Amino acid sequence: MKKLTKPIEPIISKSLDRVESFIHTHPKVDFLFGAVFGAFDGLLRSAKETTQSQPFIRNNYDVKRFMGAVLVALVIGWVLPAIYFFGWQCVVSRLVVSFVIGVFVVDVLWAIIAREDHISEGGFVSCLLIPAILPPQSPLWLVGLGAALAIIFRNVLGGVGNNLVNPALFSRLFLTICFPSLLVTGYQMPFVGMPDLHSFRYGLDAVTHATPLTAFKTNGEVVSYFSLLVGTSGGSLGETCRLALILSGLWLIKIRVVNWRIPVSYLGSVLIFSVFLSLIMGKTVAPPLFQLLSGGLILGAFFMATDPITTTYNQAAKWIYGAGCGFITVLIRDFTTLPEGVMYSILLMNLLAIPIQSLMVKIKYRT
Amino acid sequence: MLKEKENIGFKGGFNLLDTYPLRFCNIIEKISSDGIPEVFEFRVPDQKIQHVIVNLCPTEPWALPNWVILEHKTAAFLNKLKEIKTRYFPEAKCYIAINKKEDEPNAAVKDYAGGAEWMKVFALAAKYPQDDPVMLSKVVLDIEMGFGQDTMTQGVLILDAQTVSAIYENCMLGNKVDSRFIALSGTGLKENEIIKVQLGTSLEKILQNRVRAKESGKCRVFINGPLHGREITDLSQKMDWSVNNIVVLEELDKKVMFPMFKSDALVLTTNMLGELRRCVYCNFCDDICPVDLEPALYYHSYIRGEKHKARLYNLEKCIECGLCSFICPSKLELLQIIKESKALGKQP
Repeated sequence: MKKLTKPIEPIISKSLDRVESFIHTHPKVDFLFGAVFGAFDGLLRSAKETTQSQPFIRNNYDVKRFMGAVLVALVIGWVLPAIYFFGWQCVVSRLVVSFVIGVFVVDVLWAIIAREDHISEGGFVSCLLIPAILPPQSPLWLVGLGAALAIIFRNVLGGVGNNLVNPALFSRLFLTICFPSLLVTGYQMPFVGMPDLHSFRYGLDAVTHATPLTAFKTNGEVVSYFSLLVGTSGGSLGETCRLALILSGLWLIKIRVVNWRIPVSYLGSVLIFSVFLSLIMGKTVAPPLFQLLSGGLILGAFFMATDPITTTYNQAAKWIYGAGCGFITVLIRDFTTLPEGVMYSILLMNLLAIPIQSLMVKIKYRT
Repeated sequence: MLKEKENIGFKGGFNLLDTYPLRFCNIIEKISSDGIPEVFEFRVPDQKIQHVIVNLCPTEPWALPNWVILEHKTAAFLNKLKEIKTRYFPEAKCYIAINKKEDEPNAAVKDYAGGAEWMKVFALAAKYPQDDPVMLSKVVLDIEMGFGQDTMTQGVLILDAQTVSAIYENCMLGNKVDSRFIALSGTGLKENEIIKVQLGTSLEKILQNRVRAKESGKCRVFINGPLHGREITDLSQKMDWSVNNIVVLEELDKKVMFPMFKSDALVLTTNMLGELRRCVYCNFCDDICPVDLEPALYYHSYIRGEKHKARLYNLEKCIECGLCSFICPSKLELLQIIKESKALGKQP
C-alpha cells in the first residue's frame, strides 16, 4: 500500500494545498464549501495543529478512528450477512440511498446553510444504521427519508456530542408514527442455501413473513433458537444474524470503543426479568432465551444503547442505564400490543440518562 | 524482606514503555561546562525521616535507564544504600521499587533482599505515572499525599538511583560530585544518547551537533519528558541536578498524506494527531486516570461556564500527570482546564 501511494502522494498533497489556499483567499467560496473541503481533506491528510500546552505528545487515536471502528464492526455485523440473506440488490441499494441522502446531501447542505466549521464523521454511523433497522422490503424513499431525518435531527440539537437521543432510532420512531403500515409489513424470509447466478443477477425471491416476535404475539409460535442465532428467521435488514452481531460487538468491547457494562447489564436484565415473568406467568409471555435472541435486542444492546454520547458518562450509572433499558424492553414485549420494545426502551433511557447521571455524580461526590 | 503480590499498582495509568520503545546506545563521557561547575550537595533533612523510598522503576521511556547507574552491579549499589541508611537514617525503613519486567536487577535485588531485614522490595508494574511521589507513597506505604506537598512533612524521602550514588560519593567518600548523567532522546535528534554533563552546562552546548539537520523542520526541546516536563525555549539555560532527561521532538506542523498508513512517522512528534472535536463521552479519560477522577466532568463544567463547580468533583486530588489530555480522542485540553479550575479555587 505504501509503495502504491508513494508516487502520487506529493501530487495530491500539492493540489490539495492549492485548493485550500484558493478557498481561504475567497471568502464567498469559503462560506459555501469550506466545511466540505475540510471534511474531505481530513479523510486524506492528518491535522497540522501542534500541541501548545502540557502534555506535549498525544496518543495516536482520534474520533475518526473511533467512528471507523464502529463502521467496520457494523459492516461485519450486519452488511455482509444481510447481503447473503437478502441479496446484494436489496442491501446495496438501501446503503447507497442512505449514504447519498444522509451524508452527501443533508449533512453537506446543513454545513453550508448553518455555517458549520466541519462535517462530522458520526453521520456515517447513523446512515449505516438506518437501513439495518428498517424492514427489508421497505421502499427506498423510506430509507432516504429516515437518513435525512436522522441527520437533520442530530444537527438541530447541535451535532455529534450534543445529541440527546440516538438519531437513527429517533428517525425510526418518526417513521413508525408517520408510516405505521410500512414498518409492520415488508418483513421477508431470509434466503437459505447456495446462491446461484440467477439470484445474483435478478435478486432473491421475496416471501413476506411475520417476524418471530409478531408470530409469537399472534399465535404463540416460538422459532427455533438456532435459526434466530444464525439469522435464518425474519426481521429487520440488519438484526437477523445475531452471531455476527455478537462477534463484532465483542470485538468493539475488546478495543474499548463499546463500554462492556451496557451490553452486559442490558442483556442481563432482559434475561433476569423475562425469567422472573415466565416463572410467574408461564406460557403467556415469551421464554427468556427467545426474548434474548429475537427482535433487535442484540443490535440494540451492542450498537445502539452503547452510543457513548447518549448514555451516561459515569461508569456506575451505566449499569442503571442498561438495566432500565432491559426492564422497559421486557415490559413492552410482554404487556403491550406492540411486538418489539427495544427502540422505545433505548429512546426512553436516553432521555433518562441525564437525571441518572447527575444523581450518580451527586452520590459519588456527596455534593 | 520481599513484598511481592501479583499486581501492586493502581487502576488506570498507561504503559508508555511499550508504546514508545526507545533505545539508548552509547554513553558519551563528560561534557564540561565552560564556567565553574556547580557542585551537588546533600543536606540531611531537618524532619525525622521514617521511610526512604528508592525508585528504581522509571516509567517513562525517555527517562534515564537504571543500567547506567547500576552498571549490572546491583548488590554493590544496595551496599552503598545500606551504608547511607545506617549513617543518616538509622531509624528509617528502606523501600525499593523495582520494575517487574526488568529481569536482571529484579533477580539481583530479590537475592539481596532475602538476607536483609532493613529493606523491603516492591516489584511494580511500570505504568506511567507510577514514579510520581503521590502514587509511589500511596502504593508502597499506603500514605495519602497531596499533590505538590513536600513528602518530607510526612516523613517520606524519595530518592532515585543517581541521587543515591551521588550521596555515597559525596558524603561517604568525600569526593566532589559535579556532573550527572542525562538521557537525550527524541525524534529531533540524530541518535538517542546518554551523556555525562557537568552541572551548569548550557543546553545549547549539549545539543550542539546532535539535533538533526534543519530541513526536516523545527524542533522543540523538553526537560524531564514531554508529558509532565516543561518546554524550553531559551537554550542558554543551565543544567542542574533536577534534570533527568532531555527530549527533542520534531515539530510536525504540516499535513501528512494518508496518516492511517504512517503511524510510525507521526508518533512522538508534537503533532496533535487528530482534530479538535466535542467530547464524545468515550470514558477514555476516567479509565486511564490513576487517581480515579472523571476529567470529562471538569470539561463539562468548564464549557458551561461553571468553572467553580469543578472543585466539587475531587479536583484537588489530581496529580497533573497529563494522561487525560494525552488519551483524549477529541483532543481536548483537559489538563489545561484542570489547572485553570485549580487556580480559580486558590483565589480568595
